[in-house]
Amino acid sequence: MTGGDSGFFFTFFNLAVAKQYWPNIAAGMLVTVGVGIAVVVTGTVLGLWLAVVRALGRRALALPIVAFADIMRSLPPLVVLIVLYFGLPALGLPLSAFAVTWLSLSLVLAAYAEESIWAGICAVPSGQLEAARSTGMRWWQAMRWVVLPQALRRAVPPLTNRVISITKNTALGSVVALNEILNNAQGASSYSGNPTPLTMAAFAYLVVFLPLVVLSRWLEQRWQRR
Amino acid sequence: MESLIQNFFNLEIYAAVFPYLLRGLWTTVWLSALVIPLGAAAGLALALGLTQSDSRAVRWSIVGYIDFFRAFPPLVLLILIYFGGPFLGIELGKVTAVALAFVLNNASYYAEVFRAGLEGVAKGQMEAARSTGLTRAQALRHVVVPQAVKNVVPDLVGNSIEIVKLTSIASVVAMPELLRAARDAQSLVFNPSPVMLAAFMYLALLWPLTRWLGRLEHRRARR
Amino acid sequence: MPILEVTGLRKSYGSTEVLRGVDLHVNAGELVCVIGPSGSGKSTMLRCCNLLETPTGGRILANGHDVTSATVDINRLRQDIGMVFQQFNLYPHLTALDNVSLALRKVQRRPKAEAEALAQVALEQVGLGGKARSFPAELSGGQQQRVGIARAVALKPHVILFDEPTSALDPELVEDVLNVMRDLRQRGMTMLVVTHEMSFAHAAADRVVFMDGGVVVEQGSAADMFERPREARTQSFLARYGSRRS
Repeated sequence: MTGGDSGFFFTFFNLAVAKQYWPNIAAGMLVTVGVGIAVVVTGTVLGLWLAVVRALGRRALALPIVAFADIMRSLPPLVVLIVLYFGLPALGLPLSAFAVTWLSLSLVLAAYAEESIWAGICAVPSGQLEAARSTGMRWWQAMRWVVLPQALRRAVPPLTNRVISITKNTALGSVVALNEILNNAQGASSYSGNPTPLTMAAFAYLVVFLPLVVLSRWLEQRWQRR
Repeated sequence: MESLIQNFFNLEIYAAVFPYLLRGLWTTVWLSALVIPLGAAAGLALALGLTQSDSRAVRWSIVGYIDFFRAFPPLVLLILIYFGGPFLGIELGKVTAVALAFVLNNASYYAEVFRAGLEGVAKGQMEAARSTGLTRAQALRHVVVPQAVKNVVPDLVGNSIEIVKLTSIASVVAMPELLRAARDAQSLVFNPSPVMLAAFMYLALLWPLTRWLGRLEHRRARR
Repeated sequence: MPILEVTGLRKSYGSTEVLRGVDLHVNAGELVCVIGPSGSGKSTMLRCCNLLETPTGGRILANGHDVTSATVDINRLRQDIGMVFQQFNLYPHLTALDNVSLALRKVQRRPKAEAEALAQVALEQVGLGGKARSFPAELSGGQQQRVGIARAVALKPHVILFDEPTSALDPELVEDVLNVMRDLRQRGMTMLVVTHEMSFAHAAADRVVFMDGGVVVEQGSAADMFERPREARTQSFLARYGSRRS
């Protein structure tokens, strides 16, 4: 071990190494943020759509949705990622590491989003839908203007926590060689023989996710007061 | 279609690798059994510190800890501890590194769950207990904490299920849990079927727990 | 010497002064009722007596011990001053018996069997001997409050403080609780009761204290207070709420 205080800093906070590799880490941040945003958008939209379809009340539609949600919530995201990574090419659909990571995490988020939003929909008293229909609204109008706004209000706080957990899993993309933060940092570390890139990766993740965590805490307190 | 079955649902391979995967599953189970109680205990201690302390410094540092580890991806934490440790001259065994990373990470989630539970107990309970001469510690131990825990059982179960799933990331540092076993088998037989089998085994283990969790949540919503 | 003596009690929350110098005392074996409009500081005064609120000025002596001193052993003192709450505050996860025996086991360190026996006696005293194994959720409001009384009585305190004990009860259940309180009085318990139950105060109290605006406006025997109030404020309060329950 390189002894002394300077040893620690020389090892983990080596400015020369940092200078050399920070573009690498920054590029990784772009990928992490990119995948993250893509996952949040597609995951929540898909989850919302599934919850609404389930609200139609047809058994033939509801059962597959429930099965999907259960399966996606029972499997580790890394397993989903690996299965799709090897499975899709076999089905004739070779996807890039970005696309596979995006797809897996979206499916997982969609499952949690569907469950949260569905719970929110169930919590809205049935009289709300009845009242809306009785003024002549069509079913989907009543959902859009009366039921869903109330359902989403209840679903948002637990959902923000979920969203953060799942988007942190973009780090798993490193396992299938996605060039996000961790992957780039690991490469840089072994190439330079110095763990400073890993320290930089740690900071990079905090820069990306700590604001989200603080935001979700603030959101939670605001929603609770309503 | 044929190749799909050959590649993913190859029964011969399933049979051949199953014992190997079973050992991996056992590792998953005992690793979870090790980490869950430690994380929960640490989380409870943090939540008690957060809700009971009069010192702003203490409360803010606990919130800081919780938010830090909620923001930090567990995989990155694991890699940092496992690969970064040796540079500090600290050689942690695989199990210790994994356990440390997991407990640091999930203590923060358990702390949030317990915090919600403690804040949900009516203030009058503490007052009534103190009014009979119980010390603060006794009141917490016998009156407040039991109620807090009872109120958040579904969230505790849900969090624990997440931890079982999280053990799969230990595969990245070659911990011989279920996913690692499957990936090793995959490279031995040149066929992804073992990973599919592992997926089925995760489902067999966790799907019933997820259903049970749903029932617990439903029961709580009705109270 | 009075069991409970409050002298010049003051309490402020920030810039709001809720108690502006309260003087009252309760002698051994007395039932003293405190009446007055909402916001008069009655409950605050009561809660200062066992330090659930911290006074900002004045002195409280309980059985000779200075509750307000900086070196007070509050846990020891609270075994001696019982409290019954408006919202009962029973422990929902424990049976009635466990609710009553908890402090006996943990504070007075009695062995389980002894604590449970004493708790059973206390429950019988309030007429709920048969409900020892029931949980609070299985009991009516009046029964829950009686368990609350048993919980306070079991520690054999020198005085019991009652903070509007019947205000949260449905009218049919109020009488059961008042009967238990009358019975306690018969057995010689010293009681300080904040209440809106005027007929109870008139009939059962030895002395009545009228508070308004953070001070004691008038006090005297129950008969004197209800039939011959001297102060204008007392008179107008009693005229509005006299023999009705407010």
